[in-house]
Amino acid sequence: MIIIVDALNKDRFGDLLDEMFRLRARVFGERLGWDVDIQDGKEIDKFDHMDPAYVIGIDEDGHVISCVRALQTTGPHMLADVFQSILDGEPPLRSANIWESTRFCVDTQRLARGGILNAISRATCELMIGSLEFARRSGITDIVTVIDPIMDRVLKRSNNAPYGYVGSAKPMGKVHALAALLDCSEERIARVRSFSGITEDVFASEDVVRDVLDEVKLVTAATQAGMGASITPFPTSNPPIRMVSHAELMEYCQDQLKSAKSPLDVRAAQSLVSTLISQSKVTHAAHLARPKVN
Amino acid sequence: MEHRGELIDLIDLGALPNGESRFTSFLDQICDRFELDHAAYAGTNPVAGNIHGYVNYGKDWKEHYVKNGFHNIDPTLHRAAKSIAPVDWRRLERDKNFLTVFRDAGDFGITHQGLTIPVRGPFGDIGMLSVTRNTSVAEWDKLVKHVIVDLQSVAVHIHDTVMRSDVLSQVLRFPTLSSREKEVLQWTAAGKSQQDIGDILGISHRTVEVHLRSGRDKLYALTTAQAVGRAISLGLIYPL
Repeated sequence: MIIIVDALNKDRFGDLLDEMFRLRARVFGERLGWDVDIQDGKEIDKFDHMDPAYVIGIDEDGHVISCVRALQTTGPHMLADVFQSILDGEPPLRSANIWESTRFCVDTQRLARGGILNAISRATCELMIGSLEFARRSGITDIVTVIDPIMDRVLKRSNNAPYGYVGSAKPMGKVHALAALLDCSEERIARVRSFSGITEDVFASEDVVRDVLDEVKLVTAATQAGMGASITPFPTSNPPIRMVSHAELMEYCQDQLKSAKSPLDVRAAQSLVSTLISQSKVTHAAHLARPKVN
Repeated sequence: MEHRGELIDLIDLGALPNGESRFTSFLDQICDRFELDHAAYAGTNPVAGNIHGYVNYGKDWKEHYVKNGFHNIDPTLHRAAKSIAPVDWRRLERDKNFLTVFRDAGDFGITHQGLTIPVRGPFGDIGMLSVTRNTSVAEWDKLVKHVIVDLQSVAVHIHDTVMRSDVLSQVLRFPTLSSREKEVLQWTAAGKSQQDIGDILGISHRTVEVHLRSGRDKLYALTTAQAVGRAISLGLIYPL
């Protein structure tokens, strides 16, 4: 699923942005060897402080698997500034209907771990569909995107070849960087959709994404608390914690199982429930610290 | 005494003495061409720290808007300015400032169904074209989809034109002094004391002081003598 995070909703998705910056550190700092600034394991540059929009792909476990950053070409952007060399001394494009996309990347490590190489291509296509549709509904007709030759090849193989390039490829770290042009036409979106077999709406609402992220945190917290329970004594020095009644716990577990939609949700819910029940003697309210919706 | 706080100066470029009505008529044309009710352009000037703009809303809404200081809180300006994509006002509905601004808008025939297109310029300047249309949600969505590419172009066009035009530098060159401020400066130029001026104009010397300070600030003058000199050289008051 895809979510757009920008200055208007970033307060709700700070954790997601942090994970995205860590993914970027791994891809651009380590894998591609670009000269990027990495602090606390996160790659953040000055354009991230200019309120860009991020298109972020998330897997069912709430992990960031792909991302890209968009900026208007009418204002400050990377090709006008740090990637000038790609343009061979020519001034950058500047148009109301062109956005620049940079830091396009996919978490190949995580996706390849499942042993399905297909997942990489699917994640790339999902991100492309999300980016193109977001741009298109914003009145953007074309995207100029700074990518490496590997991503260029992925695009070409996904029936999503750039229609042109500006400037020329320039060495950037371990690989080259180039500026490719993509139209945001319905035809292109249809081609990527048919190649990848993705027919559904790729966008998830803010609420759905927030729920997925909170759910994952809850499972992690419960699992950690469950595993730690045998070696960590029940905290007595902390402020008093309200004990959860057995009935409340059961109701909560049932809710979790009922609201699980995908097989993955069901599995997560089952593991959460079994963890909670096996630990129910030491389960306290902190495990169930789930925001109540009124 | 003088308190301007953090309030943003709002300049109605369309109301400047030397016309510039071409921008307001441009907004009218946008409404005609794209089947919209109202259009407004606002730009932020990173140097002067003010908001300048044109609107083709009715005069009564404009007055109500400024009187209530809505330009200081209006999320269709301040929040939308941080987006790179057009911001449908539905995205701002949960903002309490949105409710404050648009609660009364209906009484003035202004709908809360709108869209703001933010434009970023190369110098940190930001412009915003806001448009509204009172119609069903389905019709609105269809309309936006149909005109959004052209609206983007138009938004950048009006922003660039305003930035390139001398309207902004005129604002700096011809500060918008109130008639009271000019009066006070005129009498000061005639050698009258603040007490004298208060007596002449029938206002307290404290009020005279306030207008003098404000006029001085607007003229970027440090002293009263400097302010009088500048006001004369700009033709705002007569040399005596």
